Amino acid sequence: MMKKFLTAIAAALAGSIAANAAEPVKIGFSESKTGLFAQAATSQYQAYNLWREQVNAAGGLDVAGTKRKVEFVSYDDQSNPGKAVQIYEKLITDDKVDLLLAPWGTSLHLAIVGVLERYKFPMVGNTAASVQLRKLKAANIWFPTSLFPDRQSDVLAALLKDRGVGSAALVTNQLPYTQENKSFVVPALKKAGIELVVNEDYPPNVKDLTALLTKVKNAKPDAVLAYTYPADAVLYMNGAREVGLDQKVQVVLLGPQYDFFGKIFGAARNGILTMGHWTPARKDWPSAKTFADAFKARWKTDPDFVDAPLAYVSVEILQQAVAKAGLDKDKLRETIAGTTFATINGPARFEGVMNVALPTMISQIQGGTQHIVWPPEERTAEAIAKPAWK
Amino acid sequence: MIDLFSGQLLIAALVLAAIYGLVALGLNLIYGTMRLLNVAHGEILMLGGYLAYWTFTLTGVGPVWSMFLALALAGAFGAAVYRTLCRRVLRSSRLIEQIEANSLLLLFGVSIILQNAVALSFTATARAYPYLDDIVRIGTFQVTADRLVVLGIGLALSLAAILFFRLSATGLQIRALIQQPDAALLVGVDVERMRLIAFSLGFAIAGVAGCLISMLEQVSPFMGFPFTIAAFVVIILGGLGNLAGGLAGALVLAAIEVYGVALTTASMRSILIYGVFIAVLVWRPQGLFGGRSLVR
Repeated sequence: MMKKFLTAIAAALAGSIAANAAEPVKIGFSESKTGLFAQAATSQYQAYNLWREQVNAAGGLDVAGTKRKVEFVSYDDQSNPGKAVQIYEKLITDDKVDLLLAPWGTSLHLAIVGVLERYKFPMVGNTAASVQLRKLKAANIWFPTSLFPDRQSDVLAALLKDRGVGSAALVTNQLPYTQENKSFVVPALKKAGIELVVNEDYPPNVKDLTALLTKVKNAKPDAVLAYTYPADAVLYMNGAREVGLDQKVQVVLLGPQYDFFGKIFGAARNGILTMGHWTPARKDWPSAKTFADAFKARWKTDPDFVDAPLAYVSVEILQQAVAKAGLDKDKLRETIAGTTFATINGPARFEGVMNVALPTMISQIQGGTQHIVWPPEERTAEAIAKPAWK
Repeated sequence: MIDLFSGQLLIAALVLAAIYGLVALGLNLIYGTMRLLNVAHGEILMLGGYLAYWTFTLTGVGPVWSMFLALALAGAFGAAVYRTLCRRVLRSSRLIEQIEANSLLLLFGVSIILQNAVALSFTATARAYPYLDDIVRIGTFQVTADRLVVLGIGLALSLAAILFFRLSATGLQIRALIQQPDAALLVGVDVERMRLIAFSLGFAIAGVAGCLISMLEQVSPFMGFPFTIAAFVVIILGGLGNLAGGLAGALVLAAIEVYGVALTTASMRSILIYGVFIAVLVWRPQGLFGGRSLVR
């Protein structure tokens, strides 16, 4: 009888110890599964899940020396900042998650800063880029990106100058990110002595750009800057081919980074300049290629060149910080703020909320992939003149 | 100054009109015969787009062929939606009183379910494929072959629809139902059957439109809604329930979009479109091309 009792106690103890060791780390985030951002947000979710699967396959997340499996808790925020606030509040107070990952896009990042500050819960952001972020005096959020419209505009103007551009046409979608870029690129071009011969906005729900691009053609600029979102980037490309915009310098802001763009345009997109600070072609970022290959193997599509790598960078930073600091919020905050991390996008180091180790860059599609072409010290390929449309 | 008589602008306007016309035709047919506001119309188009995408990606068969499959499948789906959902609403004496509002709510639900079902099955990632994207030179201007194909098929289908509704017995019965529902019943039109046919035809045309649109832009679960809105603008311009008027309305909308931008600036596009839209609602609620008989 006694022996049975002891065995039972031993078994229970062993069970509880085992359960404790195996207790997964709960990581929460809100996802824009539906609504305005759903299409753009998918690759962030895919990068998160790829990381979770990789970490679990390697035995779990290293929490200051103990390996624990990773478990996600996520809810659909319907692309609504208000919903995201409620979700992060719930994740922290009700689900009691151990760690947080970022929602998608600038507006949702900005919305949840208050929640993070109130609960002093550190979170590494990713897919947000607006000059507003730099002004944030927050202690619990960090941004690994360098896609800031002001710096991006200066870098682009320098590249255009280098390519011998004297005049440019600018067509801009009336959505926030493209408008913010426009507000900085217009003075940057002026400062660089580049004359703006067309400067027109178009609404996001546009279905045809023929008339606008005909105006661009008639103005005969040296360069065309199409500040698009992905959907109208397709309209630009088709329109530019039909109208016959033969400029050797053509910039398409948002669109060329995505897998679908390559599927439609194939070689026709070679020579298009675009934004982006990541490429699997960088030899000094060996894990960049590993990530690209793993992403492709897992999701049967190439990662985009902006959101997927940024999302992955943010979880890499979190992973390295947790290995060092464990799950204690204060220690974690200190570690994230004061460490240099190795990521698929090179080293990351924060001053305030910004990653100061990553310069702003301009990319170009060459041979079916995206290369960094500017500034010269960062480039993986020389910028080329855009070949004639086939 | 931009040359308003250039073939480049004309072809752009015609292609756009063909798309709008086709999308609006199906919506108008369903509204005309049953007063059902099918806000899920864009989602049927989206399903057509996915069908074309997957058929092309998996088998290499282009949308010019898969549109026949889309026609059949979307038509069958329309029949199923009609039988399971819409017929109940049309038969219920309580719901029929405010059929427009009730059908709007019902089909709005269908639209959300379809969007999210597709987003869950295929993810929300935009997808696209290259098809007939060579440049064709016609006189002084050039156009991609896929846009010419869209224009050709759009025109052919519109013509076929006009002939169908003018010449065939079924088409005439459906038109009778649109113009004088009570009289149509009195002279022995099989209302139930005609409604079923009209509903599934409406869906079928939307499916085909989706196949064609997938040649020109990327497909995603949320691509449909802007087309639903455009189609509503078109049929209000052309006259609710007026099928030929709808085609003319599509031409008007496309012309505003292309020539309006050419004459003013691109940022004026929405202001021009909705300005004309509101003006028509205020001064010609029966539509630019609607006869008095269609005013209720």
